[in-house]
Amino acid sequence: MKTPPVKSINTVAKRIVGRNELVLQRKNIRESLVSVAGLIGKPVKYQGGKEIGRLVDVVVRHGEDSYPPVSGLIVKVGQSKSFIDGARISKLTQNEIQLSSAKVDLTEFTRREGESLLDADVLDHQIVDVNGLRVVRSSDLYLAPLDREIRVVGVDISFKAFLRRIFPGALGRGPIPKHVIDWANVASLAHGSGVVRSNESRAALGQLRPADLADLIEDLAGRERNALIEMLDPDLAADALEEMEDDELQGLLRGLSAQRSAELISRMEPDEGAEVLRDLDSDHRESIFMEMDISVAKQLRKLVEFDETLAGGIMTSHMLITHEADTVASALALLVEHRGRDISDGVVVVDAKGKLLDHIQIIELIAAKPSAMLSSLMGPPYPTSVNLNTRLDEVIDEFANNRGSSIIVVDEKNKPVGRILADDLVDALASTSDNQGFAQGSGAL
Amino acid sequence: MANKSLMSPKKIRIAALLAVMGPGLIAGLSDNDPAGITTYSVLGADYGYQLLWVLVASMLALIVLHDLAARIGVVTRQGMIGLIRQKYGARAGTLSAGALILANIGTMTAEFAGIAAAGQLFGFSKYVTVPVAAIAVSFLVLRNSFSTVEKVFFVISAGFIAYIIAGFMAGPDWGAAAKGVLIPTIPFTQEAIFIATATIGTTLAPWGLAFIQSYAVDKRLTKDDLKLLRVDVWTGSLLTGVIGFFVVVTCAATLHKQGIQINDAADAAKALEPLAGTMAKELFAIGLIGAALLAASILPLSTAYSVSDLTGRPAALDDSPREAPLFYLTFGLMTGISAFLILIPGAPLIKILVITQIINAILLLPLLIYMFGISKDKQLMGEFVATRTMKTIYSIIIAVVGVAISCMLWFTIN
Repeated sequence: MKTPPVKSINTVAKRIVGRNELVLQRKNIRESLVSVAGLIGKPVKYQGGKEIGRLVDVVVRHGEDSYPPVSGLIVKVGQSKSFIDGARISKLTQNEIQLSSAKVDLTEFTRREGESLLDADVLDHQIVDVNGLRVVRSSDLYLAPLDREIRVVGVDISFKAFLRRIFPGALGRGPIPKHVIDWANVASLAHGSGVVRSNESRAALGQLRPADLADLIEDLAGRERNALIEMLDPDLAADALEEMEDDELQGLLRGLSAQRSAELISRMEPDEGAEVLRDLDSDHRESIFMEMDISVAKQLRKLVEFDETLAGGIMTSHMLITHEADTVASALALLVEHRGRDISDGVVVVDAKGKLLDHIQIIELIAAKPSAMLSSLMGPPYPTSVNLNTRLDEVIDEFANNRGSSIIVVDEKNKPVGRILADDLVDALASTSDNQGFAQGSGAL
Repeated sequence: MANKSLMSPKKIRIAALLAVMGPGLIAGLSDNDPAGITTYSVLGADYGYQLLWVLVASMLALIVLHDLAARIGVVTRQGMIGLIRQKYGARAGTLSAGALILANIGTMTAEFAGIAAAGQLFGFSKYVTVPVAAIAVSFLVLRNSFSTVEKVFFVISAGFIAYIIAGFMAGPDWGAAAKGVLIPTIPFTQEAIFIATATIGTTLAPWGLAFIQSYAVDKRLTKDDLKLLRVDVWTGSLLTGVIGFFVVVTCAATLHKQGIQINDAADAAKALEPLAGTMAKELFAIGLIGAALLAASILPLSTAYSVSDLTGRPAALDDSPREAPLFYLTFGLMTGISAFLILIPGAPLIKILVITQIINAILLLPLLIYMFGISKDKQLMGEFVATRTMKTIYSIIIAVVGVAISCMLWFTIN
């Protein structure tokens, strides 16, 4: 069997991306914040002071910028709502908006890809406070001029800011800078087609532990949840998925496209991925397999079929296979290539027919001459191997007897097909004891 | 991961159902609080079996609305008040939450009044029973995990069986009861219309709707659980109706037959004694205590969910007080204020209860309209958006409730 062609991107490296300066720390930005909640309903005027209408909503455009720029205004003119291009704004204060010309084209607003409405889609909706690691509601949003455009720079999640909005007249009161969170530190999950994301919030999300991220995902629903998954780095998302509760995960996959599901499951540890797939109904599982890389799908299909109380159902199929004629240097190179995987503690050596010969620890490889052939390192102690159909209790016995950190699973032709590591055993035991069926599942205990 | 090979498919189905069970059952049964039992008792004592159909109608509405609220909770993962804030704005959210808090304090006071009255039937002073109940309820909900709390709720609910036994002991006229269920007639008097609308009002409590939604969120039910959740909701609402039925039947067979008028459920229990025996009185009182304890546990919980929801800091039973201070503060204040109100000598209890009823009635209508709006919102509900048939059913319920509430308010004010 060949090494699974699963891309192994070093997620750790991505998680320590340095964050850029937060603009809210700049004094001039802090002093020019304009509250969106306070701005809604204020007059929009032509150059010269003639009123066009009242502000209904602010449209922002999401792109690669950390701070989304205002792309337009929705203004109530008479009885109808019109769109005014953001480039026309000459002055925006807490009490009014002034345009740069004496006449503008009023067009009907149609939502464009990657745009969202601050009042309708973001204000009072749930956002992820990446630093505080929680799902909160935005009480107010703040605009400020930055890089020659008016942009969303901050969000207020305090209850005080929320209460302020209930009382008429108090709307104009200025923001309380210490309650304002920098926009770069939140992940707003506003609009299905245009997830409000910033590189910083993405990087910040990348620094979360997968288990925390899993909790965040579980706290969100439907559209917002899918939006968060979409914005995550797929490797990190896959790590988080592994940490999720089973039924949560099932529900999540139902909401994602087969393509995205396939992408994420391919990046999960093969045994975890197989566990997820095993619990899906067969049509759904098939649709995900169709979207997968053929060799990954083939490998997972095999794993899915195994009973969870047998070695084949517990094992992970990810391992590094080398031939006895390979050199130590090439084996080490292979290990380095797969260093993102925590299971790469050594390599499995097979003969020309693919049959299991030995498992060589990484320390033995490091101690050997790079040009030496792997066959020269082979010798006792040989690895313990079990059959695909070995029962869980026998696997435990084998583990107890040889005190090794892993066991190799071979098929009927003695070809290695996977490994069982201590943590796979813990998982298997935890799931059997969940159902109090452990005694039935394994006669020994 | 669940190891399915070890369980038979039937067992799996039952286990799965038991895991989902809770929101519908508990929220449904808690609507049969002392105020509810009182209303049913008066309905039976004054009109015999004739108005049983009103009970059936409110039960059907309860099924539909609890089903909707639970579904909204599962699909959006947000509580009612949070969704109202998101969809209808800061003012709508705050007003709803404010009305809910006021109404809930009043209702909570009514629950403690029920405990006080039932305790007195057994010879205990309210200065003992009310503080004990307040502490017991707080301890139960605050010091235990979600699943323990849920189990205790189930056990308390078993107290409702007392009404069913009392119903059989009263020896009702089953034929007349069946006629009352199936044939809707009503004497066109102010009192009859008032008691009919009160029955609808006590069954469809705003806090019950808010609670079932938050509870489904807190229980982390998923879309896959919706089918089983429906079983739960139906069971809960049907049981609620059945218990109400037996309360009415008990009073119809005894008090109505003898022409005895009563003012509350404790009255009913006392009046039952010479007619159906001491046992019937005690069963009625036990049922009342169970009803009050269940509702008294849930009301502060429902309020705490709603307040946390409004502030945008969703909280859960499994959070610690440090993680969710507001949640626990609300719970404590609710319980404390209501217990205090009931213990003040000479507190205007009747006034509090009437005002509570009015706030609940006024709040119910906008709440139903908001729920209706949310159910139609494709962005929020996705594939679970209301179908045309369901929209028609919701509209009919809202219209009927609207008329009933208008009648009720009219009579209360006049």
